[in-house]
Amino acid sequence: MNPVLIEVRDLEVRFPVRGKGFLNRGPVQEVRAVDGVSFDIRRAETVGLVGESGSGKTTVGRAILRAIDPTSGTVIYHGRQGDVDLAHADESALRDVRGKLQMVFREGGVPVHSLSGEALRLFRPRMSLVFQDPYSSLNPRMTVRDIIAEPLIAGGVMRDRAQIDARVREIAARCKLDLEHLRRFPHAFSGGQRQRICIARALVARPDFVVCDESVSALDVSIQAEIVNLLKDLQEEMGVAFLFIAHDLSVVAQMSHRVAVLYVGKFVEYAPTENLFFAPRHPYTHALLSAVPRADPDAVFDPIRLDGEIPSPLSAPSGCRFHTRCPFARDRCKTETPAWREIAPEHFVACHYAEEFDFSRPRAAA
Amino acid sequence: MDRLLSVENLSISFRTDEGPITPVQGVSFGVDRGRTLGIVGESGSGKSVSTKALMRLLPGSASLSPETRMRYRAKNGETVAIETLKPRDRALRRLRGGEIGMIFQEPMASFSPVYSIGNQMIETIRLHRGLGGRAARDLAVEMLAKVGISSPETRVDQYPHEMSGGMRQRAMIALALSAGPALLIADEPTTALDVTIQAQVLDLMRDLQRDLGMAMIFITHDLGVIAQIADEVAVMYLGTIVERGPTREVIRRPLHPYTRGLLEAIPAIDRLDARLKPVPGDIPSPSQRPSGCPFRTRCPEAVPGLCDRAAPRETAVGEGRAVRCHLHDAARAAA
Repeated sequence: MNPVLIEVRDLEVRFPVRGKGFLNRGPVQEVRAVDGVSFDIRRAETVGLVGESGSGKTTVGRAILRAIDPTSGTVIYHGRQGDVDLAHADESALRDVRGKLQMVFREGGVPVHSLSGEALRLFRPRMSLVFQDPYSSLNPRMTVRDIIAEPLIAGGVMRDRAQIDARVREIAARCKLDLEHLRRFPHAFSGGQRQRICIARALVARPDFVVCDESVSALDVSIQAEIVNLLKDLQEEMGVAFLFIAHDLSVVAQMSHRVAVLYVGKFVEYAPTENLFFAPRHPYTHALLSAVPRADPDAVFDPIRLDGEIPSPLSAPSGCRFHTRCPFARDRCKTETPAWREIAPEHFVACHYAEEFDFSRPRAAA
Repeated sequence: MDRLLSVENLSISFRTDEGPITPVQGVSFGVDRGRTLGIVGESGSGKSVSTKALMRLLPGSASLSPETRMRYRAKNGETVAIETLKPRDRALRRLRGGEIGMIFQEPMASFSPVYSIGNQMIETIRLHRGLGGRAARDLAVEMLAKVGISSPETRVDQYPHEMSGGMRQRAMIALALSAGPALLIADEPTTALDVTIQAQVLDLMRDLQRDLGMAMIFITHDLGVIAQIADEVAVMYLGTIVERGPTREVIRRPLHPYTRGLLEAIPAIDRLDARLKPVPGDIPSPSQRPSGCPFRTRCPEAVPGLCDRAAPRETAVGEGRAVRCHLHDAARAAA
């Protein structure tokens, strides 16, 4: 088993929310977007992060890389030069490790308003972004070569032009881009090719860790499969670890070694992919899996009925946050927050009654 | 068989700065009363544009080819030739909403933000059903309850922004259904929703269709959704239907190499694969449509000298099934 690369402990992110009412003069409230999340990511491992909209999955990814400041908790990065607590590191310490931690964002990129001026100045040049929508994310005035080379130059990894060119050509070839493409501008490329450019840029500085936030979600199915395969190949060659954030459970299943399920800012389950998809222990994971429509006319489509919608983190339910929609909820669930515990080796779950449930599912033939 | 709508040789061209493009070429399909047709396709396949033409909702830069025939059997028994309707025709106004309803991926496209949900529903009901104010309001409340919105008596007076995404989607369905359409066109209605909410909405649409006996055209890129909701499916690629037939048959026994490739490329959730099987290459843009068969640039079975020369014709294969591929043409000619 590979050594641990990123160690997240009790990560908490709170945002102030402006009050409602006339001219937003109502009382200022606080949203707990991420509320006490702990997990490890190993070297060369892909950890999938799934959850519905508003569950806080994007915030987890950003807080780990300090694109937003966590309110509390620690994020230990076990780098080759020693350990750094990213959650508490000052700017110069962050600058030293920035090149090793990259991000593949979705549309919109870093929420600029959430960064302070100084953090922004530091961050912008040191982060390579790969957006969900590759059409709007590449600077139309830069050649593909310059786009890919940007993290090397901005991060001060290399200065020599010939060296930079060699590195850009190498990573472009690995991402299956033609070398003649490097002189062109991004508008000339299709969605799949643009996503390759984004991936090449994220990997050019040979990072240890890349956050992929909905990086393949906007692609058509026939193209998406190729990008997923490419990411897997690059991981094998370069030993990079991914935090793969997506709402599409099937893509996460095929991409990840371990998968975490997030619900209203808290992890409900974290397990090796096999266990999570074929022997889940949390009712929410079970409900999510049952709700995915199969491209098989004979598959029984009988999703677990969840009442209502995902609660807002502004008014997270007491006790177990899932109790308002859980078909198995009992009185205890309304008051007592379930502990985060290891129910089987590597299999973590937060449910009072996990031992009682058998949600195992049959495996389809290949 | 009770044909509600039949579309033949639908071709749509747009004038653009780079010259005319034809994102839809010679598309033919039909919907029977009370049945669901799924149209599946990736970006640029022309699936949305085709159905917008049915409501005559295309922008001014678009034109239909003279061969286009769109016949709709109205509730009063008359057959409407949709392609001949003028923008100001009364028949077109009756058609939109009253005969054919439409829902979209983004519910705010259907609602005005400045009127309450109820206000907009009541307007529709009065116009298309000729009910008075009180009765129209009662029906609006009933429709909201039918789509599973709790406390509909209070919700009816709320504005769209006061509802969550899933609830807005339900309200949009209620709005479209309140006019009592015989055909509902649903353009990616669940794509923006979370999977648990998507499951609820799909469930709801299946129930409503059964209760109301309404026909549906369901447009999506997701073959999983198609498998669960459509009786028949048409697979589109770059503006043509490459394969159509009963959903079960098409998914079980896909005949066109594109349909096969698409089904194989879908990541599975019931098993873990070492690798996914992509369809090679990229989807060409509509302005760079390949000559001959549109799929030949990505087709693993393309025959040089055949597939690049002429566009394949649609070949009927079995009950209600058709495929547009030279390989099947050749197979038939040999037989």
